[in-house]
Amino acid sequence: MKASIEEIAVKEDTTIKALMDELQLSSAPILLEVSGEIFYPDEIENRRLRRGDKVAVIPLIAGG
Amino acid sequence: MEIILYDEGTAQELDIEEIARYLAQKMGKVRVEVRGNPFAFNLSQDKVSDYARKIAGTKIQEVSQKILSGQEPLYGEIEYEKRRILGKTRSFGILYDGFHLLRIFCEIMSREESSLEFVHIFFTNRLFATWDDSNKRYHLRTSVYGIPSIISTTGLVEAPAKPREYYLLKQQYERLGKDLTELKDRFRESIIDYEDKRLTEVTKGYAMQAVFYSLTGAPFCEDKGCRLYNAHWQEELIFAQLWGEYEFCGRHTRILEGLRKK
Repeated sequence: MKASIEEIAVKEDTTIKALMDELQLSSAPILLEVSGEIFYPDEIENRRLRRGDKVAVIPLIAGG
Repeated sequence: MEIILYDEGTAQELDIEEIARYLAQKMGKVRVEVRGNPFAFNLSQDKVSDYARKIAGTKIQEVSQKILSGQEPLYGEIEYEKRRILGKTRSFGILYDGFHLLRIFCEIMSREESSLEFVHIFFTNRLFATWDDSNKRYHLRTSVYGIPSIISTTGLVEAPAKPREYYLLKQQYERLGKDLTELKDRFRESIIDYEDKRLTEVTKGYAMQAVFYSLTGAPFCEDKGCRLYNAHWQEELIFAQLWGEYEFCGRHTRILEGLRKK
């Protein structure tokens, strides 16, 4: 696992939107890696996740 | 891993080919490609208007007002961005929301290359800022790391603060109507300015921050002498990128050595 990237194991069936709401990440500057592909959360907010699925949360980081 | 560099309007300021050679030297067997203008590479002309509208929608009107995603820009703003995309004008005096801008640049890239295995770096002269919820205002930035990463040459000049003495003297100069270029000359060693010959060398360190973002998820280092140091002052930037005794701290040097051996 990379330093600032958090991998989340989904505990119960849900959607990306519900998961983001639960994690209070709805307005955070992040990308998600789902099944090896990168998305902005709202691109796939209705995607269904099953228990045990893994989602990596990749923060966008500003410098200077 | 593959590193792909884009020139989003910096041609006169940066030697991107030199940055590519530097990255290739540091990263060993990693492929480094220079693609030039990202819009020319991957954008059909009929999409120019669409992207121009989206980019114009990321313009910050007021630094204490967070912009909304998808805000509707004015006709003139869209026309300006069209010319900017087509390379017919240069960005000047406009401040963009860095995270929104990054998202638009992300749309330009092909889905197949949209992963942490590819390090996409957009060099731009657009000035951008990100919103800070703690004090409810935008802050100028040198770079935003994501997919892709964006490094701003204007941001390298404007975002890190100049020495305090510079601002005090600047007030005096302005009061007395004196030429500000004389002031900049006085501080030439401790600030990076527009058309600065050191800009390419400085930017190499920021490109490495983008590489480490993809490698480890962490672009920065706490060591003020390491090129990955997140400088907030011009003097810190110059020390980390130009005057430090070493390029990278011990930990990051070992990571790079490990990569080159692979």
